[in-house]
Amino acid sequence: MHVEMKGITKSFGENKVLRGVDFSLHSGEVHALMGENGAGKSTLMNILTGLHKKDSGKVLINDEERLYANPKEAEENGVSFIHQEMITWPDMTVLENMFMGKEIKNKLGWVQTKEMEKKAKSVFGELGIDISFDRTMKTLSVGQQQLVEIAKTLLNDAEVIIMDEPTAALTDREIRTLFKIIRQLQKKDVSLVYISHRMEEIFEISDRVTVMRDGVSISTKDTKDTSYDEIVRHMVGRDLEDYYPEMDNAQGEAVLEVRNLTHLPDYEDISFTLHSGEILGFSGLMGAGRTEIMRGIFGIDKIDSGDIYLDGEKIDISTPNDAVKRGIGFLTEDRKSEGLILDFSVRDNISMTAFEEFSKGGWINDKEEEEFVDLLIKRLTVKTAHMELPVGALSGGNQQKVVLAKWIGAGSRVLILDEPTRGVDVGAKREIYNLMKELAERGVGIIMVSSDLPEVIGVSNRVLVVHEGTISGELKREDLSEERIMTLATGGE
Amino acid sequence: MKKYIGLLSLSAVLALSACGAATLEGDQSGDDGEVEELAAEDITIGLSISTLNNPFFGDLQRGVVEAAEENGSTVRSVDAQDDTATQINGIDDLIQQGVDILLINPVDSDAITPAIESANSAGIPVITIDRSSEGGDVLTFIASDNVEGGEMAAEFIIDLVGEDADVVQLEGVPGASATNERGEGFMNVANDRLNVVESQSANFNRSEGLTVMENIIQSYSDIEAVFAQNDEMALGALEALEAAGMTDVIVVGFDGNDDALAEIEAGRLDATIAQQPYEMGTIAVDTVYDYFSGGTIDEEIGAPLELISAE
Amino acid sequence: METKNAAVTRKKERRSELYRKLGPLIALIVLMLIVTVLNVNFIRPANLLNLLRQVSVNALIAFGMTFVIITGGIDLSVGSTLALSSALTAGIIAIGVPPVLAIVSGLLIGAFLGMINGLLITKGNVAPFIGTLATMTIYRGLTLVYTEGNPITGFGGGFAFQFFGRGYLFGIPFPVIITTAAFIILFVILHKMTFGRKTFAIGGNEQAAYIAGIKSDRVKTMVYAISGMMSALAGLILTSRLNSAQPTAGTAYELDAIAAVVIGGTSLAGGKGRIVGTLIGALIIGTLNNGLNLLGVSSFYQQVVRGVVIIIAVLLDRKK
Repeated sequence: MHVEMKGITKSFGENKVLRGVDFSLHSGEVHALMGENGAGKSTLMNILTGLHKKDSGKVLINDEERLYANPKEAEENGVSFIHQEMITWPDMTVLENMFMGKEIKNKLGWVQTKEMEKKAKSVFGELGIDISFDRTMKTLSVGQQQLVEIAKTLLNDAEVIIMDEPTAALTDREIRTLFKIIRQLQKKDVSLVYISHRMEEIFEISDRVTVMRDGVSISTKDTKDTSYDEIVRHMVGRDLEDYYPEMDNAQGEAVLEVRNLTHLPDYEDISFTLHSGEILGFSGLMGAGRTEIMRGIFGIDKIDSGDIYLDGEKIDISTPNDAVKRGIGFLTEDRKSEGLILDFSVRDNISMTAFEEFSKGGWINDKEEEEFVDLLIKRLTVKTAHMELPVGALSGGNQQKVVLAKWIGAGSRVLILDEPTRGVDVGAKREIYNLMKELAERGVGIIMVSSDLPEVIGVSNRVLVVHEGTISGELKREDLSEERIMTLATGGE
Repeated sequence: MKKYIGLLSLSAVLALSACGAATLEGDQSGDDGEVEELAAEDITIGLSISTLNNPFFGDLQRGVVEAAEENGSTVRSVDAQDDTATQINGIDDLIQQGVDILLINPVDSDAITPAIESANSAGIPVITIDRSSEGGDVLTFIASDNVEGGEMAAEFIIDLVGEDADVVQLEGVPGASATNERGEGFMNVANDRLNVVESQSANFNRSEGLTVMENIIQSYSDIEAVFAQNDEMALGALEALEAAGMTDVIVVGFDGNDDALAEIEAGRLDATIAQQPYEMGTIAVDTVYDYFSGGTIDEEIGAPLELISAE
Repeated sequence: METKNAAVTRKKERRSELYRKLGPLIALIVLMLIVTVLNVNFIRPANLLNLLRQVSVNALIAFGMTFVIITGGIDLSVGSTLALSSALTAGIIAIGVPPVLAIVSGLLIGAFLGMINGLLITKGNVAPFIGTLATMTIYRGLTLVYTEGNPITGFGGGFAFQFFGRGYLFGIPFPVIITTAAFIILFVILHKMTFGRKTFAIGGNEQAAYIAGIKSDRVKTMVYAISGMMSALAGLILTSRLNSAQPTAGTAYELDAIAAVVIGGTSLAGGKGRIVGTLIGALIIGTLNNGLNLLGVSSFYQQVVRGVVIIIAVLLDRKK
């Protein structure tokens, strides 16, 4: 199938999301679609699959003008969209999920399980997927669920598959499997649109790259003819030679010491020291136990044994409240379900950790609160029309800044940041790095858990690598390299 | 803090009551003057029924409404849905509407007192029906003689199964005067001449009658008769007994509602002490006319009661 | 350009927010106008005071319920809590404890019963619906055990206790004054104090609130205690008014309270709500009951009308 989109425009109310986009997709290619959040990637793809109607422009499929009325019709014609947040029925089986709404029935309306299994088996075989049909969806990892979703599209004889951030929640091994399957699909002449922020993946898997910015397609190039720098430049519209801020290596006293922290089977015997003014990177593969360690320190999950010292004094943390009281802040990996109350205003979210800053004896001083929140919004340059806007309406980067504002407002001296730039676009990433630097300079000790290797290397003063629940190595700033980290992360010496 | 405010305001109230700013509901006395004579078509009767979910009180309401309409009077009725607070509120609403007289069928004899006192202070005469009031001034109380009815039931059972038989009593809503009086009458006779193995409340309710009876059957399989203090419970008990195959147990109800009469006709229920709610309603309306034409009213008015059995 | 857009959307948001806030109030006013047109007795001051007094019991319970529902929970035990605390208070008065002290202990009993709900839900990890369903029957059962199924009457209590439910202060029924005071205090707690903010935060996203250092278990336990205390307060008014503690008092009152909260625009999903709305919701239900009685509508139809009003309220709220 050959897709050609020409001069597509689209507005939502007064907001022009697409202002003339050209995009083409050849049969059997993997076409990466890149751009910052809000650049219009998803809207463009939603126009192709019929969820949104375009205002003007042309959509040609196999050189004929064609518009699908809705995503279902697109699917029936071989164009499938696998969204970042998949819609599954967690308590139903893999087979039931695959045939949801499209069950094979006989004349009496009886569901023909045998038939369905046969069909599913052939698709699984083609792709080399090995998952039992009887398992319920919720027992599968996110990666496995994604494979089921891909297999589901092939049941409809998909010729075009659009994947939105498919690797965001996958472990490295699962990413390998996904890529293998993408290559299989290519062999069957299936075309893929691959939306991702992860540069390494783009260079590994895609044939062509289209970069969008502010609702316009900036460039389309063969992947082998472009470069990391060029793509970033096109995405942000300027050079980013100093992408990571210059880090100051001056460090103060030890603020947080963790001794022999253990919670089986997640992690065992974790010991390290964080100094004031230091950014301590935590690297490792997904599922190595980094997030679990941080949740243990912060008192969200119980620990089996181990001690935590703050300023040399042994402290007891059994709930997050204990941690917050002592000046520890935690930006969680999952911003939407743990970091923010999406329906609540920016103001309510920021003030949540710091009531005592503007209240006396439980009474809130509205004016003081407003000033407090306003100051933080300005300091962190959170882009919001006003502080009463629901935080869910902000972009990912600005949401993350609100979470940071919350912890800065609480006066945290130790900040644990778990994947602080996940789902954040390039421009906002840089702002977050600068903020981390500024906080470190003021003596805050920062732990940064990150799966983004260039980020870990660019920002950390020191890196601890976690492998299967234990710390497998420590690297000083001058010793940092992707190879060294990966060797330690995979259990090598 | 809330407690302090409570304490403060209460002590303030006590202080204020001395100056007359704080008063109690029903404190103001109504006009005790002569009865103003009214023609039937000028009278608005306020009727408060304990619950319309029971056909008995439905019949009572119909008796009042039909007798009043026949004479050209207006009836405003409210349903308490078996809740004392709802009843008080309903009566307040009737008082606000300026009815000429109140016919009240109380949910509870004690809890109705404040409502009757309110009516007293508004100068509206009150007649209670079927259940009495413990306080306030009431013109008259119209009811079947429940004590006598209980005795009639016990005698009937003795006639059929003989003395010292094992019997069960299903009681009504605890504390209701009907419960107390019917129970009293039944026990007057049964204490000496029957063996009451179990006496439990099923709240005048059919489905509770069913479940309570089911439970009793578990422990007593050789009972010979059941006295239910109303028909609803009797019909529930009947189902339980039939399901257990105990069809020869004598069941006697109380009230004489349509369902019960039909079951007697069909030979399943043995007897009921028939109250005549419809008659009670018409008697109440007649009493209203007597009052407004200057007649004297007795303190208590008995409504006819009869034992209905298959024979 | 963009800032202008933002200003426009902000204006729109504010307007729809205003509608959302005023919706129930407008509905109440319209309802009162309709009833007045059909029966002018409705609008007489004596009847309006009568109406307010009738509303006070449900309003008090609904105020407490508002807190619970904002945390995303539900309290089905309010009616039983009302009955049990009333019966115990009547018992306390009967043994000769001064009425004011008895009233305070009644409120504490209510708070304690609510706290048990809270502990079940937070420490025991029981879903609020199930936990309070269980205590609903437990508390009712305990009431029947304590009272032996009979109403407690003639316990006296003197002028102070009688005044609680039946008194007038400068012509205003005392329950109305209590309800107003409770409203003001709870309004301040919910909208002006950190406790209220924490209550909202827990309903909005409990996990995020917990990680932000909010002691969610403690706040929730206190919220259920408030609900219990408000039920007890309502029960005391009822007991004083009826001059009798009824073992079956408060049956199904949780439904009216939930209805008042929902009509007032508080979301059952938690995180959103206003106690002013609940007050208006309780007034709407009270006006319906009083108005339909004044109009002589049969109680069977009254129930239908009440259900329809709840549906309309929820649909209107969803539209906005």
